[in-house]
Amino acid sequence: MKVNPIAVRQSVLTMLYQGKASHLGSNMSAIEMLVAMYSSVDCKKIQENAKDRSRILVSKGHCAAATYATMAHFGILPMAALETYHKDGSVLAGHVSHEVKGVEHSTGALGHGINVAVGCALGMRSRGITDAKVLALVGDGEIQEGSIWEALMFAVHAKLNNFIVLVDNNRISSITNTEKVINMHPLAARFQGFGLNVHEVDGHSVRAIQSAIESIQTQDKPGVIICNTVKGKDVPFAEWQPIWHYKSLTDEQYREAHAHLESLKVNS
Amino acid sequence: MREQIINSIYTHMKDNSDVFFVTADMGINLVEKFQETYPERYANVGIAEQNMVGVCAGLANLGYRPFAYTISNFAIHRCFEQIRNDIGIHNYPITLLGTSTGYDNAPLGPTHHIIDEWGVAKSIPQIDIYCPSSVSYAARLVERILERNKPAYIRIPKGNHEQPVADDHIVHIEGQKQDILLVSYGNLVQECLEVRKKDPSVSVLVVNRLRPLDEQVLKNALVPYKKIFIVEDHFPESGLYGSLCEFVARYPIQGRLISLAPRDYTMDVGTSPKYFFEKYGLNASGIARSIEQVLKG
Repeated sequence: MKVNPIAVRQSVLTMLYQGKASHLGSNMSAIEMLVAMYSSVDCKKIQENAKDRSRILVSKGHCAAATYATMAHFGILPMAALETYHKDGSVLAGHVSHEVKGVEHSTGALGHGINVAVGCALGMRSRGITDAKVLALVGDGEIQEGSIWEALMFAVHAKLNNFIVLVDNNRISSITNTEKVINMHPLAARFQGFGLNVHEVDGHSVRAIQSAIESIQTQDKPGVIICNTVKGKDVPFAEWQPIWHYKSLTDEQYREAHAHLESLKVNS
Repeated sequence: MREQIINSIYTHMKDNSDVFFVTADMGINLVEKFQETYPERYANVGIAEQNMVGVCAGLANLGYRPFAYTISNFAIHRCFEQIRNDIGIHNYPITLLGTSTGYDNAPLGPTHHIIDEWGVAKSIPQIDIYCPSSVSYAARLVERILERNKPAYIRIPKGNHEQPVADDHIVHIEGQKQDILLVSYGNLVQECLEVRKKDPSVSVLVVNRLRPLDEQVLKNALVPYKKIFIVEDHFPESGLYGSLCEFVARYPIQGRLISLAPRDYTMDVGTSPKYFFEKYGLNASGIARSIEQVLKG
């Protein structure tokens, strides 16, 4: 199934606007990553909750809108569900919720989903499930959490080659640039030092991310894909602006961003 | 009591292929048999308790019934957010096994005095909490937990107490009078039984399952007594005293609740729990003194 990231981005923009929600920056940066992740697994098995399905864990739970929108574009969720995002009585919360069909695990506090993903990978191996994988999406701010590195140490030690971490390297964490908070440079070397199979790709290229996922699966150790992204991608006034972790869209900003995405869609 | 619980898990692994044992590098000369017999359902995640809880949640996602083993303070305090989010919110049937309770690690200092952990676990609604007081209760516990299919925490005291020989969640040992009742759990039950040995008029109520409390049994047990002492190696507000205060607010009784418990951390070194039981009046003689004072009014 081929999904156009711009179409997902349009859905996300509308969800955030109608739900008066924040986290625009980190939702927009992760969209191609999510599209590549769902493109790499059997979505029908996720929809059917099959025991041998691949597991997708969104550890940076604040990219919930992008997660739900991607799932809807892949047919796991009904499109109509997206209209309830961030609204009274909905189960589509502002952080990823397992009340939503097809979501493996609720996240929101950082440094949790990746550990659960490691447990899934261990459990899948134990159950003899070999034709499925576990993909965990983490933020580059999130990797400041110590529990992330606990997960990686164990995954490498246990040789969980069905486990792949994708880092949304948008280089902005909560209030400012990551390099000003905790400079993780050189990031790839740090992951390599932990024994992971490391790839670094353009995080807005679905093809590049997918190809890295396929390549890691043939190795004997877990992998990490550093996806270099732009926070607020394709919303010109929000790109690289930390404040768009917190703000919600005005009517005028929504119209401007929507028009821009329309032009990108026409040209894509 | 630890041996009964661990051996019981091991026994269940034979017929229940969903049971998975995870340790945070604890349990020397105890957990090795899991690795030897069931390597595919055993993991030592290292000294990384937060990861242990997350890994257990992932295993539960695959339908496993994980048992996670470490020292009580690491199991609970270190991982509070993981327990809340990854176990509680998901209602995953994960059992946390916490070894050492109260002052079991007496000389090791306040970081290892485990006097405030199950109250922390109690703040998460989904989690059942157990503290076995005797080997007969400990021996049946794993079977019961597997039947309940819920998150659980077992606070495992050091010791192998034969008394009381009973496997009920609440054990009521009635004295000759219905005046003084000592309510306790874990190792301090032995001190309460010692008090009763010297004064057979005293009754003892052993609470092996701290949550949920068996309310009907509890109500029937509390009603006749005038002075009810809650003896615990845990801060009272978040401990059993707090639970009983909440309970009697809903089901008023004539008796007065009196807490015997530590109220703060201490930097004192004690070579055994006895030092701290003496310090806080939790041993048999201390409890007897408190009874005497209360009776004097």
